[in-house]
Amino acid sequence: MNMVNPGTRILIADSDRAVLEMLQIRLDLAGYHALAARSGPAALEMAHNMRPAILVLDLAITEMSAFEVLAALQRDVSRPCGQILLVGKRLGVEEVKRGAALGVRACMLKPFSGADLVERVGKMLKPASPERPPANGFGSRVAPAARPAPSSNVFI
Amino acid sequence: MSVVAGELRSDVGATFDVLSWELELAGARCIFLDTLIGKLLGTVAPEHREQLIEGIQAVDLLSQHLTGLSTFARGLSQTVAAQEQIEVGAALRSVTLGALADRMTSSFGGDEAGINDGDEAGDLDLF
Repeated sequence: MNMVNPGTRILIADSDRAVLEMLQIRLDLAGYHALAARSGPAALEMAHNMRPAILVLDLAITEMSAFEVLAALQRDVSRPCGQILLVGKRLGVEEVKRGAALGVRACMLKPFSGADLVERVGKMLKPASPERPPANGFGSRVAPAARPAPSSNVFI
Repeated sequence: MSVVAGELRSDVGATFDVLSWELELAGARCIFLDTLIGKLLGTVAPEHREQLIEGIQAVDLLSQHLTGLSTFARGLSQTVAAQEQIEVGAALRSVTLGALADRMTSSFGGDEAGINDGDEAGDLDLF
């Protein structure tokens, strides 16, 4: 079990209310302070005000594209988010590369379980993750552009 | 009831995905409940503790049951043909819990199709 720094803020940005609520409960129970945003602009505002350690951003977030959210965060010199985890159903190589260029640290393909996400968040918060792959970053675990394998995820 | 008449189609994989998220959400609520009962355990009289422990075990079992079904639905979503479409609107209209029906309708793209009226009233929001 990961040691959690109590109150570590995790912002989940997802338009799907079931996903949002499930992840919020899971992260709260794991000892994090989970925050939720249902649109791109709400995610940006909350990130700016709450300065989360991790932003979990869904690729299909509404009102702004996920890449617009990422670009806005990158332009913000105050660096409101510690790390960014990009999640989504249609995460292919192109999306992962584009996300990486905009500051994404890791990606997870939907569908995943709440336990999978809590584990991933825990690994991202560790100072030096032994799972971090070498220079090319993607290795064989990168999502195929077509229908992905279950539980596939990648650290960038 | 906020789901109005109208056809709503979804591919089979996405339908299993939506089911999977909902089952996992129900499982997460059970874990929340389990934790809450655990906290209460220290506050009740010793003669009532056994009953509470039975309750914790039942909720824990229910949580595992739901998580198992969620995993199964998630697994199925990966194995079905993505292009196969089914009509989900009629089945959704039989879901009487407003919040659940709204969430599932949104997940199936009902907001964009104008099927969900977005009314979130009438539900018991615990969180």
